Amino acid sequence: MTKRLIFLLAVGALLMTVLGGCPGSPPPVLKETQFETVHFDLDKFNLRGDAKAALDHNYELLKDFPDVICKIEGHCDERGTIEYNLSLGEKRARAAMDYLIGLGIDASRISIISYGKERPVDPGHNDAAWDKNRRDEFKIISQ
Amino acid sequence: MQTRLLLTLFLIILISISTAHSQDVREFRIDTVSGVFEPTPVGVDQMKYIGNRYITSEDSTFMEYVTLIVQRDLDFYADFELIPLDTFYLRTYEISDLSFFGWQRLGAKYLLRLEAEFPGKNLRAYWRLYHAPTQREISSGKIEYNSGYWREIGHDIANEVVHTLTGEQGIFRTKVAYIKKIGQAKEVFVSDYDGNHERQITETGTINLSPIFAPNEEVIYFTSYLDGDPQLYRVVVETSEVSKVGSFKGIVAAPAISPDGDKIACVLSKDGNSEIYVLDLEGNIIKRLTRNGSIDSAPSWSPDGQSIAFSSSRTGVPQIYTMDADGLNVKRLTYQGSYNDSPIWSERGDRVTFVSRTRRGRFDLASIRTDGTDYRILTEVGMNENPHFAPDGKHIIFASSRLSEGDIYTMDLSGRNQRRLTRSGNCSNPSWGPIR
Repeated sequence: MTKRLIFLLAVGALLMTVLGGCPGSPPPVLKETQFETVHFDLDKFNLRGDAKAALDHNYELLKDFPDVICKIEGHCDERGTIEYNLSLGEKRARAAMDYLIGLGIDASRISIISYGKERPVDPGHNDAAWDKNRRDEFKIISQ
Repeated sequence: MQTRLLLTLFLIILISISTAHSQDVREFRIDTVSGVFEPTPVGVDQMKYIGNRYITSEDSTFMEYVTLIVQRDLDFYADFELIPLDTFYLRTYEISDLSFFGWQRLGAKYLLRLEAEFPGKNLRAYWRLYHAPTQREISSGKIEYNSGYWREIGHDIANEVVHTLTGEQGIFRTKVAYIKKIGQAKEVFVSDYDGNHERQITETGTINLSPIFAPNEEVIYFTSYLDGDPQLYRVVVETSEVSKVGSFKGIVAAPAISPDGDKIACVLSKDGNSEIYVLDLEGNIIKRLTRNGSIDSAPSWSPDGQSIAFSSSRTGVPQIYTMDADGLNVKRLTYQGSYNDSPIWSERGDRVTFVSRTRRGRFDLASIRTDGTDYRILTEVGMNENPHFAPDGKHIIFASSRLSEGDIYTMDLSGRNQRRLTRSGNCSNPSWGPIR
């Protein structure tokens, strides 16, 4: 879905260039929402298939925008203890960072932070909410 | 009729004599977790005015309040059980001036009588503790503060009673610390042990976690996102002055102050993984205790400072382990359930209480002996988290979402007598302060 959107945007940008519109337009800017969120299983920090696909997508973005410096936030669902989840969230963020570094992104461009279970995106107390809350989010520090 | 009365009196005297000298005041040192537990019934009389002037309605309210505080304190205390007057059939005149016979009839083993005078702006409280069956006075005392401090007067009397009957120090003047969510921030709060006198201590506007009192009660150590990454901070309770303690890459979490007050065990992830370290009070590393690729977390000191309980996911899910304070001699303590975390070592040293994932994925508080036997579940409702012992080792404070989005509760060691301290919701991460 997002890929298609990017494709359309790219086509749009190309057309505008060809048609000679906005000759002084600023260089393209990466938006945080273009990053995909990475999800995890309960009590786990290993990267699932869909997590790797999301990270591959984010890798492409980081490659296309070499000036972007980002921070990966690791999050957990509300189950389990505050302190343990703080460590677990960091493990999740680190797993994503290590994967991206493995693909060739310079380590100086990525930092991590864990919010444990302190910042859920969904305040619910059910599987659907928990699935959403076990995640890595990408935040842009500078570009 | 007269003969019957005489006979009754004779019987009562006989019983009194037979029990009078066999009573040792400190007879009921009870392990509230193991074995049969029978709290001792205690009666507390309404406080009476003994001066010779008319008192104001305010003064009379103060006397009611003091009585209520003493009653609530003693009822909460693990060893005692307050005799509730309203559940018994008593004539009105009996309640207002219950005789020894009346209290004996209700099963009181001990009776506390309270009297008051009001010199100037003060409330001068006299307390007398009796062994009810023998009507023998065990102890008595006097406490005097400004009348506005009726809570403190009540707590002090209850502490005196506990000390007299158990030889231990009461916890009724202790403070507790916890985290309350204010908007997006989570701030450190402090209140009395019963939830009164709540006060916000930090105003950082960030997430703060895991507050824990230093042994002097003047300083609270906690984890804060004040500078971005979660790091260790301390705040002076009186002034709310916050300062950073050390600085490390990654997270600094789950601080636990050693019993001697000189060291902090905590989690550092500067090595790329959560490991347990011991720091001095300024945040300098004294020693690294764990070396394991999994998450090691939640250190808790044994009361003698020689051992540390902690959680580790080295088998895949967190379980409770113990080790010597130098990191050697690691032993696994729990094999029950799929998730055991947040261990706290009992002040008496014989048990570890922790969070355990039980049936249907609920998180309950559980307790186990330090030799790994006698696993018991202490809570039966809601999600329960962050147990922390009172300094008497007989009571536990914890957070639970049983009735709200998180509130603070206390109970005794056996899981009895659960009380809700906060009612605002959004409260978590409690810990119990020291006895001053």
